Amino acid sequence: MIVQALLIFCIAAFGYLNSFFASSNIGRPLVVSTLVGLALNDLRTGIIAGATLELVWLGAFPIGASNPPDYTSGAILGTAYVILTGADVASAVLLAVPVATLTALLSNFMMMFVVPIIGHRADRYADKGDCNGVDMMHYLAIVVQIIPQAGIVALAFYFGQPVIESVIASIPQWLNSGLNYATGIIPAIGFAMIARMIMNKQLACFLFLGFLLCAYLNMPIIGLAGIGSCIVAFLYFNEKRNNTVVMDGGVQDDNEF
Amino acid sequence: MTMSSSSMKKLTKKELNQIFIRSCQLDISWDYERQQHIAYAYALTPVVRKLYPNKEDEEKRIEALRRGLEFMAITPQISPLLMGINAAMEEENANNSSFDGNSINAVKTSLMGPLAGIGDSLIPGTLRIIAAGIAISFASAGNILGPILYLLIFNIPAFIIRWYSLKFGYSFGSSFIEKIAKSGIMNKVSYYAGIVGLMVIGGMICQQIWLDLPIMVGSGDFAQPLTYYLDQIMPCLIQLGVFGFMYWILGKKVKTTTILLSLVVVCCAVSFIFGL
Repeated sequence: MIVQALLIFCIAAFGYLNSFFASSNIGRPLVVSTLVGLALNDLRTGIIAGATLELVWLGAFPIGASNPPDYTSGAILGTAYVILTGADVASAVLLAVPVATLTALLSNFMMMFVVPIIGHRADRYADKGDCNGVDMMHYLAIVVQIIPQAGIVALAFYFGQPVIESVIASIPQWLNSGLNYATGIIPAIGFAMIARMIMNKQLACFLFLGFLLCAYLNMPIIGLAGIGSCIVAFLYFNEKRNNTVVMDGGVQDDNEF
Repeated sequence: MTMSSSSMKKLTKKELNQIFIRSCQLDISWDYERQQHIAYAYALTPVVRKLYPNKEDEEKRIEALRRGLEFMAITPQISPLLMGINAAMEEENANNSSFDGNSINAVKTSLMGPLAGIGDSLIPGTLRIIAAGIAISFASAGNILGPILYLLIFNIPAFIIRWYSLKFGYSFGSSFIEKIAKSGIMNKVSYYAGIVGLMVIGGMICQQIWLDLPIMVGSGDFAQPLTYYLDQIMPCLIQLGVFGFMYWILGKKVKTTTILLSLVVVCCAVSFIFGL
């Protein structure tokens, strides 16, 4: 059992390192469930469970600031449960979905608290011009995330389904929804920081233009960029023409009156 | 200040290869505050090291690192495009003392939104679905070809895209800068790119911040959520308010760590008190 738990730890770490290995989808159910099947000596069931769970989470992938349920842990534990108990493949889904929600809570906590704090350390290294420091913070952010996440999956595997269910039931609702609200607001800090860098009085109206187009017309970002480019082209050619007029006439028309 | 061509700082194949390899880790140190900022800075440190090696470059090196750590959100597979453009602009910044370093930020911000929009629908949205569709048909019969095909169908095109977007980004960035230098609008680049960049940020405020207040106004059958009334005044008003508050509080020189921690505490406390 200990050996199997260690194998599960390695599979989970491998799956969570998906974004380390070129976001190549190695954390998806089809891949990790197959590996679990290999580790627990039932490859065929692993692949079939992988296919079932892949379908469940087909639409789940991170876009922008929205984070999907943690399908990596869900797929690993769901598949292990099916193989060890000999239950129906469909019951993998029953266990996998709550597990994925639970571990997503942990990874959300990491990305909300721990990694931003590491990011602020990276800011301090940047202030000193220390390239190695920035690199180290990147590696640190990997280690502090992968080890607890993979560890929890291995522990959950070791203690089994009843323990998982009681842990899920004991998480207070306020913690869950409080963190949920926070994840919706935190991106505003990042936007405000970048706006502080590039915005000035002259340009502030364009932030509002983008906002209004999106708020009232639901315009996608690509459309906003297109309109922005048109405005830039207009300003650019206007300025070019003005410059030509200046050159042709040889008069500086700073004073219009 | 004159510079002979021999003292020109130039990026080599080595740095570009390093960007390619490091770009593969773009999402691993993701966070809610500035998303891919640590990994983006990490991908560009070889460029920063090469271009600003000496003591007298320290100021520019600090600025370049700070730029790398700004908010970043882009599809990992096409991120090398942006990194290539960024590297070309840093190269110009290292060689040309009149180059406005801030324009790098403006260009980055204006490009990341549309590139992420195209990239997300193309790669995780389309390519991954095609790969999964083919793979699931094999895998549901227990065939090992399923997971293997899944990885191959997704990753071969993804790596080709990654490699060529870096090459294209770097050469496009270089020729773009050359053209701009010739047309004499160098000092306008950050202004123009800032227009597009701020429009994109304005849209993202609307789309990516969310706060769904479950507060009801009115009583009985006539009760409506508070957001319903706020949306009547202006859609996304709450999002704009949240952004405005953050913008204001950052101007007060409050540390972002403090903002972050107090925000989480307040959110949990509010949920606890009101039993949300």
